[in-house]
Amino acid sequence: MTTQGWVFMVTSLAFVWGLCAWCYYRVLSTPPAD
Amino acid sequence: MSEQKQQWGSRLGVILAVAGSAVGLGNFLRFPGQAAQNGGGAFMIPYFCALLLLGIPIGWAEWTMGRYGGRKGFHSAPAIMGVVGKGRIARYFGIIGVLIPLGVYFYYVIIESWCLSYCFEYVRQIAGGAGLGIDSKAPIADQARSSAEFFDNFTGAKFDGVTVKGGIHESLVFWSLTFALNVWFVYRGLSKGIEAFCKWAMPAMAVCALVVLVRVLTLPANDALPDQNVLTGLGYMWNPDFAALKQAKTWMAAAGQIFFSLSVGFGVIINYASYMRRKDDVVLSGLTSAATNEMFEVGFGGMITLTSAFIFLGASGTIAAVQSGSFSLGFKTLPIVFAQMPMGNLIGALWFFMLFLAAITSSLSMLQPTKAFIEEAIGVSRKMSTTLVTIVALIGSFWVLWFSKDGVALGTIDEWVGTFLIVILAAVQVICFGWVFGLERGLREAHEGAQMRIPRVFGFVLKYVAPSYLLIAIFMFCKDDMPGMLTKLGGNPVARNTLIMIAVVIAGLMFLTYLGEKRWRAAGMDLDGEREPDDTKGHA
Repeated sequence: MTTQGWVFMVTSLAFVWGLCAWCYYRVLSTPPAD
Repeated sequence: MSEQKQQWGSRLGVILAVAGSAVGLGNFLRFPGQAAQNGGGAFMIPYFCALLLLGIPIGWAEWTMGRYGGRKGFHSAPAIMGVVGKGRIARYFGIIGVLIPLGVYFYYVIIESWCLSYCFEYVRQIAGGAGLGIDSKAPIADQARSSAEFFDNFTGAKFDGVTVKGGIHESLVFWSLTFALNVWFVYRGLSKGIEAFCKWAMPAMAVCALVVLVRVLTLPANDALPDQNVLTGLGYMWNPDFAALKQAKTWMAAAGQIFFSLSVGFGVIINYASYMRRKDDVVLSGLTSAATNEMFEVGFGGMITLTSAFIFLGASGTIAAVQSGSFSLGFKTLPIVFAQMPMGNLIGALWFFMLFLAAITSSLSMLQPTKAFIEEAIGVSRKMSTTLVTIVALIGSFWVLWFSKDGVALGTIDEWVGTFLIVILAAVQVICFGWVFGLERGLREAHEGAQMRIPRVFGFVLKYVAPSYLLIAIFMFCKDDMPGMLTKLGGNPVARNTLIMIAVVIAGLMFLTYLGEKRWRAAGMDLDGEREPDDTKGHA
């Protein structure tokens, strides 16, 4: 695994996991519409 | 129109149901191969560009159109497209939104049953049975032969009708069981069936995937070839080859992968969203479903499949596996990998169970749009619509099961319905949303009840970028792929007859749309989108 490979892998994983976590945090913490 | 207005029980439920529809075998078997063949880590550049410029925006348009159509009392793609596209032409194009999920279901439920049966074989192996019959101590070439033989015999790849002639073939048992499960959940309805199942199945999938991921990432290096280890395996997948970015095919492959992975243009999101209420958020929900899909695809598919293959098969074996296609990778190559792996039987069982869950959450979403269409086109009960869709799906699926030789029937439907028509439907949807319904109106509708704003730039993307990409893709498909597809039809009666079967289904759907039109007009419903929705009216 090259340095560039690490960069692409970590960045991609951080993006998808981060986006997913943020989305579910928003969904679960926001009260439902009336 | 239906006995009781169906609704999702919770917001999380619809998000997980849409995510379940999107997450399928492609996340774990198609994506890794596409990335590896198109620049490795560098593939993620066009991939994420396509996610942001194509997948998410078109998804937002579908969620919005679906909810809008639901406010008018419609839940099927033909009806909703008629409203959004303001007339009969769009309505009849919307038939594609029923044909695609129904047609794809014909073969998808069979692949789903393979996953269940493979899981069962691994459980059998854990219990000391023969299972797939792969001897882990034999040379890899012999293992590959055993694995391929098992798959070919199980799926009837060598001869038509072999799975249904001369007694009850094991594949028939699993197909029947899988089919019955699908019908059962769909019959139970949106909240008690699909939603309840997805709320359990999606987390279960994540747990299974996590266990397999941990196992793969903690694998020791190959004893005989220590260069074949986790890091070099990850490197095979993630080391970037920037030269691939100079090729148009890389960008097309990335866009294609995003497109099919997110299940946009499939007719499912538009149906699922139609059961939402006016003030239910579609923007954050749509983004969350897409993010969930990406978590499974990049976070699990991108880390597990090729890494494990590389450790045990090396570069040449992995390349060969990738080039042989998703089915071959999933059902012939990975069993060899599990045979070498410590705790391989348990991991194999978990892997195929996870694939089964991924497949069934998708296949449930494929029956629901047709069921909804039948209900509102001819005004029958849920029981009757489930019965009718089951009959049609049984006939179509049995056709694919029978004509199993070389997967011709399966491949024909996959090419014509599951590939070509998806791009057509997506183009029609996005053009209707941006140009007929009107972009400003569409964005205003999307922001009703929204818990995040759509960035302004996506307006430009929806109106110009997405339609342009799709129209170019259709042109390129017709130019590059259609001649080959037509040649295949000419040379193969099974392929030809399969397409005739699809044409019969299309004719049936057109007739139902015609009946629906009369019914909807008689009921005073706004099927051509001439009025604003009246949310005070309860639609039966």
